Amino acid sequence: MADLKIKGVTIIETFAEAFPMVGTRVIITAPSLEWALIAARTMTGFATSVIACGAEAGIERTLSPKETLDGRPGVAVLLFTMDTDKLQRQLRNRVGQCVLTSPGSACFAGLDGEKKLKLGASLRFFGDGWQMSKLVGGRRFWRIPVMDGEFLCEATTGLTKKAVGGGNLLVLGKSHAAVLAASERAVKAIADIEGAITPFPGGIVRSGSKVGSKYKGQIASTNDAYCPTLKAAVDTALPLDVEAVLEIVIDGLTKESVAKAMHAGLHAIAEGGAKEGVTHITAGNYGGNLGPHHFHLKEIVAWAR
Amino acid sequence: MGALTFELRNAPDQRLDLAPLTPTRLEGLKAKEIEALAIGTTRVNLTVGDAFTVKGKDAAELRFVGTDGRCDKIGAGLTEGAIVVEGDAGAYLGAGMKKGKIEVNGNAGVLAGASMAGGTIAISGNAGERAGGINVGETLGMKGGVLTIGGNAGSLLGERMRRGLVVVAGDAGDYAGGRMVAGTILFKRGVGPNAGYGLRRGSLIFVDEPKDLPPTFGDCGVLEFDYLRLLEHWLRANGKPINLGARARRLMGDMAVLGKGEMLILA
Repeated sequence: MADLKIKGVTIIETFAEAFPMVGTRVIITAPSLEWALIAARTMTGFATSVIACGAEAGIERTLSPKETLDGRPGVAVLLFTMDTDKLQRQLRNRVGQCVLTSPGSACFAGLDGEKKLKLGASLRFFGDGWQMSKLVGGRRFWRIPVMDGEFLCEATTGLTKKAVGGGNLLVLGKSHAAVLAASERAVKAIADIEGAITPFPGGIVRSGSKVGSKYKGQIASTNDAYCPTLKAAVDTALPLDVEAVLEIVIDGLTKESVAKAMHAGLHAIAEGGAKEGVTHITAGNYGGNLGPHHFHLKEIVAWAR
Repeated sequence: MGALTFELRNAPDQRLDLAPLTPTRLEGLKAKEIEALAIGTTRVNLTVGDAFTVKGKDAAELRFVGTDGRCDKIGAGLTEGAIVVEGDAGAYLGAGMKKGKIEVNGNAGVLAGASMAGGTIAISGNAGERAGGINVGETLGMKGGVLTIGGNAGSLLGERMRRGLVVVAGDAGDYAGGRMVAGTILFKRGVGPNAGYGLRRGSLIFVDEPKDLPPTFGDCGVLEFDYLRLLEHWLRANGKPINLGARARRLMGDMAVLGKGEMLILA
């Protein structure tokens, strides 16, 4: 069977295997976009993988003053975990330690939904009795006195149980520089997609993992089949001339947002063509038995929504 | 056919109790049945048909035309739908209402929106005393919703209010926000003496500084409040454009009681 190629880059006929997650969105505003970004980056720091960070999080997009409830610049943040209790705990801790603490910040709900997560409803206790609740247009907000004035924080935000985590693309190429440049383009393209984030450093992960290890207690270990230095020793997935592999991991509020992000990312990677040095685009899966969501690259290439 | 319309024939010689005329209670009634409803308040029987010319069919929106200050309880206990009053409204306008919308293109009597729990009331003229205050038989004033008064408000505006928003474009009388438990009143002009008397919680927002501030309020100085930006944004989005800005002088009180309320005097 002839492989699918885009500008000479081979698209391997495989699929990304993704998992159901619970997710939420909050809006952080501040006196300037710079400070909203500082709060958002701090809140989404150390949130690359649920394996050891407890959550996966990232900045979805920035918001103009016209788009926010208080008319100040803002940032939309997405936060994902494997279950609702963990999401609640992560949200409280991250907003409490990283947004409440950030100069001039305010925090609002970013998602509707029947199910709610406590936001200001738990952080209000920081106010030690001096907090004030205000209902504006049917939404409850807490005003918590802090040293630079008040931390305005909506009582709750919505959550979705239809979130999807672990959508991914693997970029194979003849030079580290080429693979990195193509991956950077993909992250940039995905940044524009509503409801999707790339939680790893700069959106890119270099240490793809497989399940299990030769060591007891190590639940995940390096994905040796994709390590270029081990080509001769393991059942490698890499051609001899591949020097580096990078992975883009995508979490989204819906299956569609992940598919859309993969579509945008895949085409951004292939944009440079084979002459740039990228040879293959593939995706990671565990044989299809672990995750219910399968994103087949063949379908992703033609995704049109 | 258009909105179900009640046009007052001539000034009634007794006060009218118009509480039965709500969308919920009129839905599905025939014109004859509506005209037979009793609305009198004295020993002389009076029906809708005696006082009003009834036109239109759609009971989801009611119109009262040519009403005067003796037409009491318009929209009292309203649970849905809309009521437009082209004329004045008497006492208890929308008192205890839970949901829906009332618009008055005139003045309203005492206890407008008293103990209302939700919905919106917009009075383009003046409101009598105790607007948003305590309805008869209740222990708390307004419990939710939005009450806007285009003209002046009488004394005891929002007395013992628990939740909700009152906006007064004109002057408010004395004891505005008296004994308030929580909620928000926005004063676009002046207030009479003793505003915020016994304020426990809640916010009194003043565009102009009140002439005499109670001595039982403590000054926190001029500060920035993101809450004011939020409120301004919401007011703008809901057809009540206003410039609040973000800076205000904050007075806390009433220190004679709980003292967790505030006056925000826009700076």
